Amino acid sequence: MKGIEIKKVTKRYREVTALDNVSISFELGKIYGLLGRNGAGKSTLINIVSNRIFADSGEILIDGIPAKENMAVHDKLFCMSETDLYDKDLKVIEHFKWTKRFYADFELEKALALSEKYKLDTNKRFRALSKGYQSIFKLIIALSLAAPYVIFDEPVLGLDANHRELFYSLLLKEFESGERTFIIATHLIEEVSNIIEEVVLIDKGKVLLKDSVENLLENGYGVSGAKAAVESFCKGKNVIGFEELGGLKIAYIIGKKAALPKDGSLQISAINLQKLFVKMTGEEF
Amino acid sequence: MKKFKSAVFYGIITKMRPLIIFYLVEYGFLALIMALMALYTGKVEVGINGVEISSAVFLSVMGGLSFKEDFKAFLQNGFTRRYIFISTFCSFILISAAMALTDALIGNILHHFIKFTMYFGTFYGYNHPFANWLWLTVAYVTFCSIFYLAALVVNKVGKSTSLLIAVGLAGAGLLITYLFRFVFTPELVGKIGRFTLNSLGFMNDGTINLFFPILTFTVIAALFALASYALLRRTELK
Repeated sequence: MKGIEIKKVTKRYREVTALDNVSISFELGKIYGLLGRNGAGKSTLINIVSNRIFADSGEILIDGIPAKENMAVHDKLFCMSETDLYDKDLKVIEHFKWTKRFYADFELEKALALSEKYKLDTNKRFRALSKGYQSIFKLIIALSLAAPYVIFDEPVLGLDANHRELFYSLLLKEFESGERTFIIATHLIEEVSNIIEEVVLIDKGKVLLKDSVENLLENGYGVSGAKAAVESFCKGKNVIGFEELGGLKIAYIIGKKAALPKDGSLQISAINLQKLFVKMTGEEF
Repeated sequence: MKKFKSAVFYGIITKMRPLIIFYLVEYGFLALIMALMALYTGKVEVGINGVEISSAVFLSVMGGLSFKEDFKAFLQNGFTRRYIFISTFCSFILISAAMALTDALIGNILHHFIKFTMYFGTFYGYNHPFANWLWLTVAYVTFCSIFYLAALVVNKVGKSTSLLIAVGLAGAGLLITYLFRFVFTPELVGKIGRFTLNSLGFMNDGTINLFFPILTFTVIAALFALASYALLRRTELK
């Protein structure tokens, strides 16, 4: 199978189960949003997929090849991490050149062109870059590498709005240029909601849902009105959360939209991804 | 193979700047001392100069930092731990060989002109430049291996446990001294002493075997390298 398959992966840290028997797959040719709260298990999953840490049990396959300690997957996967793993004393240009030596598919010219777009000084050492520009540097490497599977862990950390927009447009351009899979792990749900096709929601080490954004937005909705009327309407429905404001109550529901009572006591509204996830994970992000 | 070569080069090239600075400072300092000696005494006799010790200290620091810095960079670039281990030790061997060549060459040349002494020359004489280089190379690799392993242990068990281990090692050193002085029979002490001297190339019949000290350092370096690999293959990013 073409894609990343995660099979029954469990990872424990002493008392904490960071990932609990997680099974999930990422197909080739899609943009995924890997979403979840702090400590939900996103980074643990990413680190296991990219062979930085080991699962206690389970297996990761990339295009059918076991990913653990296997150089055969080296050119298939690249992970841009939130953590800084690069040598801080090397200049940006030196890092680009080393990446070119490590990855045959790294396009140095593209990296230099993107550096110009982002106004990244390639003669600066990594440690001399601001937090935002360190993220930009890592993004440029990931965007200039034509690996089939690229994972972005908190890609826009420290970036201003303009730079974030530029990243999203470059990402889409890259996506259109070939059959690739991008996995974006982020907290900025609303920002990526227009880009991602599928959503994987992780909470407390478990996959809560995996579905297309389209399906989720189609099947999720809010119903507001008088408390009693809302509660009556919700009976037998998959309610993921409530909000109350004075006598008014809003219910967030997953499922096919049912007809509202004709007395006009209730109103239906669309639900955005962020609200959906806040309600599904039980607490505010 | 191309990636492996690149990884080895990364391990070497990224150390070039500190290495050049180190040699400039070390030999600059030595030249200054010799110039001052010549100026004030009219002759230059440096005696034991500590050049090899300085290089060993540099390589020990490099060995420790190689894990701290390069391991993360290699993981970022998708390398497996087996690749990381082999390329790191290849770079250790190449850097050690280059430093040993520099030290042995300069030391032996200076020995002919002034009374510049080196450890190998003091122990085994100055008529074996190739053996001197080889001995120094494996000795330097041994230092790299020991401190690479030490960095791995610190990363694995944390600072507090590492300190306890260090205290334990110091205690073990004292215990061994105690055993030699008060517990072991003179015969046993004699046997251990002879074995140690033989492993350093000083044979019972008074001859010197240059192969043994090189072999001894090679075995020690290999043991530390194997221990490092055993730890590295289970090491995770923190």
